[in-house]
Amino acid sequence: MLMAPVRYVRPDSVGDALEALEGEDGARVLAGGQSLVNALKLRAARVELLVDITRLAELSEISLEPDGTLVVGAAVTYVEVERSADVARALPLLQHIAAHLVDRQVRNRGTVGGNCCLNDPLSNLPPLFVAIGARFRIAGRDGLREVDADDFFTGPYQTAVRHGELLHSVVVPPLAPDTGLGYQSLQLGAESWALARAAVCLVGDPISSARVVLGCIGPRPLRQPDAEERLIGRRRADVDLQEVERATAVGIRAFGDVHASGKYRLAMAKTVAGRAVAQAIGTEGTA
Amino acid sequence: MTDTLTEPGIGTGTSWQGQSVPRKEDGRYLRGEGAFVDDLWMHRMGYVYFLRSPYAHARILSIDVSKAAAMDGVYATLTGEEVAELTDPYFQMAPGAANGMVDYCLAVGKARFMGEPVAAVLAETRELARDAAEAIEVVYEPLPLIVDGVATAEPDAPVLHEEIGTNVAWTGLYDYGDIDWALAQADHVVRIPHMYFHRFSSTPLECNAALVNWDPGTDTIDVKSNIQMPMFASMYMGPALRIRSDRIRWETQDIGGGFGIKITTYTYITAIALLSRKAGRPAKWAETRSEHLMGSGHGNERTFLDIEVPVMADGTILGFSARAFDDAGAYLRYEPLGAVIWSHVLVGCYRFKHVRVKYTETLTNKVPVCPNRGYSRLQHLWMVERIVDLVAHELGFDPVELRKRNYVQPEDYPYEVPNGCVYDSGNLPLSLDKTLALIDEPKWRERQRNAPPGKRIGIGIGSTLDSGTNNFGQSQIINPQLPFTGNGEAAIAKLGFYGEIQISLGTVPQGQSHETTAAQVAADVLGVSPDDVDVTAGFKSLQNAYVGFSGTYASQFAVTGLNAVAGAAEMLKAEILKIGAFALGAAQSDLELSGGMVQVVGDPERAIPLAGIANLALANVAALPDEIADTTSLTCRYVYRPPFEVVDTERKWGNISLTWANQIHACVVEIDEATGQVTILDYAAVDDCGIRINPKIIEGQVHGAAAHGIGGALHESFTYDEETGQLLNATFFDYHAATSADIPHLRTDYVESPSLTSPNGAKGMGEGGGAPLHAISNAIQDALADTGAVVTHAFNPPERIYEMLNADHAVRGVEVVSR
Amino acid sequence: MNDDATVHVVHVTVNGEEHERTVPARQLLVHFLRDTLGLRGTHIGCDTGNCGACTVIVDGQAIKSCMVLAVQADGLEVETVESLAPRGGSLNPLQQAFHEHHALQCGYCTPGMLMSATAMLRDNPDLSSMPDEELRRSFKGNICRCTGYENIVVAVRAAAGAQEVTS
Repeated sequence: MLMAPVRYVRPDSVGDALEALEGEDGARVLAGGQSLVNALKLRAARVELLVDITRLAELSEISLEPDGTLVVGAAVTYVEVERSADVARALPLLQHIAAHLVDRQVRNRGTVGGNCCLNDPLSNLPPLFVAIGARFRIAGRDGLREVDADDFFTGPYQTAVRHGELLHSVVVPPLAPDTGLGYQSLQLGAESWALARAAVCLVGDPISSARVVLGCIGPRPLRQPDAEERLIGRRRADVDLQEVERATAVGIRAFGDVHASGKYRLAMAKTVAGRAVAQAIGTEGTA
Repeated sequence: MTDTLTEPGIGTGTSWQGQSVPRKEDGRYLRGEGAFVDDLWMHRMGYVYFLRSPYAHARILSIDVSKAAAMDGVYATLTGEEVAELTDPYFQMAPGAANGMVDYCLAVGKARFMGEPVAAVLAETRELARDAAEAIEVVYEPLPLIVDGVATAEPDAPVLHEEIGTNVAWTGLYDYGDIDWALAQADHVVRIPHMYFHRFSSTPLECNAALVNWDPGTDTIDVKSNIQMPMFASMYMGPALRIRSDRIRWETQDIGGGFGIKITTYTYITAIALLSRKAGRPAKWAETRSEHLMGSGHGNERTFLDIEVPVMADGTILGFSARAFDDAGAYLRYEPLGAVIWSHVLVGCYRFKHVRVKYTETLTNKVPVCPNRGYSRLQHLWMVERIVDLVAHELGFDPVELRKRNYVQPEDYPYEVPNGCVYDSGNLPLSLDKTLALIDEPKWRERQRNAPPGKRIGIGIGSTLDSGTNNFGQSQIINPQLPFTGNGEAAIAKLGFYGEIQISLGTVPQGQSHETTAAQVAADVLGVSPDDVDVTAGFKSLQNAYVGFSGTYASQFAVTGLNAVAGAAEMLKAEILKIGAFALGAAQSDLELSGGMVQVVGDPERAIPLAGIANLALANVAALPDEIADTTSLTCRYVYRPPFEVVDTERKWGNISLTWANQIHACVVEIDEATGQVTILDYAAVDDCGIRINPKIIEGQVHGAAAHGIGGALHESFTYDEETGQLLNATFFDYHAATSADIPHLRTDYVESPSLTSPNGAKGMGEGGGAPLHAISNAIQDALADTGAVVTHAFNPPERIYEMLNADHAVRGVEVVSR
Repeated sequence: MNDDATVHVVHVTVNGEEHERTVPARQLLVHFLRDTLGLRGTHIGCDTGNCGACTVIVDGQAIKSCMVLAVQADGLEVETVESLAPRGGSLNPLQQAFHEHHALQCGYCTPGMLMSATAMLRDNPDLSSMPDEELRRSFKGNICRCTGYENIVVAVRAAAGAQEVTS
């Protein structure tokens, strides 16, 4: 409940924030704090310097470019996503996820960037961003660089953001008009602890590209190439969901804990993948 | 025979009892002006932090507090070694070997559960107390551990308490009727080898807290705390601290929920008192949620083995035989009373004549259990209701008809149960019909037949009892040497200088609306409105009346508390009329109390206000004749004593509770076949608690009990790791307390079967009896009817249901042997 | 000053009143409100941000004050339960609805529940078209162990129907 002594700074610009982050090893970005403050209260994380980025306007913008690219600042909160007309146009699924995550108080503070950079296996957004092939804009001393979602989530609680950098924004490419999206979770209790999660993005009919991504079950969002193979080239109406499920989570060793056994987690990963594919097939053209 | 009312209760239109009077206590809570313990502050006080064992079972080889003690701002430290010198072990209720159990307020020599406090720090700030505790160096030698409540009784299990040499705290045989005869007679015997009721907790939103000042000048201990049974705590703490028990002065005001979980904190308060004395300062403690979950107390967990149920061809269930193992955790706190309290509801709602339970209470390396809402009864009631449901399921009886056949019938009351308990009143068939009407059962049966693909619908009934007002003679069934019998509650009714009516009670409310219902009762007796009656908020031992078992627990307030208030108010009324008769020159029998006046019936001119009465007795007493002045004080203390008798401990026979409220619940669930997830589609509860003093408040208790039960059935279960003894869900992250998104709309209705044994016809009812656990287990069973699966656990998360759906049921959890 | 910790001067407006205080970086907003400013109405019920007893409104949004640092409230406006009714004055329509519909028992979750409801009603003054399930979901961040949530839902709907909503 009580945090260890810590230092805090609230820089006025992204440049100042980067300087503060670069300055020492124990510096961490403080955004909404809905995960980090918890970790600090439980003394599960050791941070020397908190760098508060929540009031940096540059990181809090949402914009929809003429070509349909959606850019969401890292410090944009879930409630801002929920209310954004731009997100409604470009990626309503993101709005739906943001609107149903945890609870209202958390949604008022928690940020897109925080969710992604935490990269907890249970985090809601990483699987979605991997499925739609988002790009992550990272700010560093030398300016902005972009990393594909496939390369951004590197390990448990680890991302491509290096020491001295911070996540600037998430870039969602314009989705093809014949894109179908699916996102399914299995949670214990309403909107609570997630045991399984799948995000699916299909393009075309016959399906020309398929991304099937599992959350919850591994150290980072896991693409399912075997399942994707069962989809590419198929007409949507001919997709065999059971075959897709069988091809999902093959060879994965799921962990067991107080909430569920590994065996159940594995079975549920397949089930939610099948459901997400079904949802993607059923929502053609309404990305 | 009882009259069952389905229209609002007693009295004329002027009676306050029976009305949903809005609560007097609400104002301060709504404004954020409640005084909860952590809101309190004393000059010079320090903050307490407990260092806890990370091991489930370990010898404590050494504790070095020097670094902590040296930190600037640390006022005192306390270790088990000091505690063993300064205090005596708490007295034990258990007989035999377990009577010698050594239990102190800190671990002494050994830690026996993960989270057990081993040392404590008192420091200037919360943060410093915590930081200093981290600087204490403890060397542990981990020991083999045991968390299985049945296996712990085996001879090769690691022993927790060497001084008693066993992990069996108590064992006894409850044997009524002739179950062997019944089993031989029966047309069918249904056998269930194993059933399990899990550990969970009502987790009151406010955690345990205390502000303790051991005043050096007067050598008295002032305790401001949220403990639910402070006088019970005095009985433990006095001898332990080697002081007169009345040196401890208790004060409670606002308590953020208790549900039984705030009964056994006398251990923490003892340690805090020692710190306060050592430092010569007040000491405040407020545990965190994590500490609460791992270190306060959980509800009992019980394993039922070798259940056998004799059933006749027509569906009459003759009784049952079972072995029960109740896992008390590492120490006996309030236990082993649970080993007898379950027998208040020996046969549940049913007319079984033959019951045999071999009951064993065991010790394991887990946090000690404490009375959790429905204490010891809900586990048994769940088992009984599962039995009835399985009999219906296996033998092809309609679950409604089977219950009605076996229920205690309305004409049977007062109904003597084979163990001497006397159920006072009820109309179970009517309650059941009302519940089924609330959910529109035929509609759901239709939907069940046409369930969407991939979904299964099930309907379950949960019949339960809430026994209220313990006869503490029950403790003598556990240990004939215990000097405890009967029960009681005390109240004081008095007039202030200007005729103000004041009531104070021995009860310790944690949300049960005592200020309001007590005011209603007093208002009816004294002819005023509840607004005119001031009921002291909370309990202060120097000021309130109390008896040994005073407190708020065990669903007894409506009976014990309110009858104490009624008695005190009647005494006050008699004194008022006596003085009034003198003042008005009238006969007492010609007088009435109305609207704050004593007046001659039919002659409103001849009247005197209560202020006038008060003046005569309190400030004008020479004007009264000696005979009146000597026999009136306008401070009336009354103890309500339920009509209990001493119990026959040989036969384990006697009336050990006073009232039996009942609740019948019905639940409709939808199960997702692919995942095992449960959605509650409809939920109904019908409560019969006799005469309803305040219907809205009663309904609120029904809602709360239903939510606790739904949480326990689907979301909440404490899990200890078998290898390490670690509690795996010790935060609100991992222990999923049911939220508003988990609890459905609750339909409710009521029946009023007045109690024949309680003077006001009311029955205690707050605990509820765990009916949701029964109803949900049965609904799941119904949904899985054609799979061969048997629901044998009270906790059914999705994974368990998934397993039931996918298991090969060649070996089922139930067997039927038919003649 | 400790090398390991910073302190900060913060200006926070709480219930319309401006306060200037010096706070350590690690102090949570809930402790600032309760201990530093003496506003005891906001409660603590857990240590992982799950229970919502500490809910207050910051810059118009309901947030859990145990999950925010006091220093992060610098320059912001905070509303606590104490702002809903003047001391000694009448309860506001929401509080009145809670009272009339028995939406509280022990009172511990009540301040947080009221602040969540206040924020919710500002965003959705008309609840007549909000389904029960969605309304229940909107309180998911506020745990109550006494009422089973039933009367809370009734009270909030009743408050929405009342003429005046808190400003």
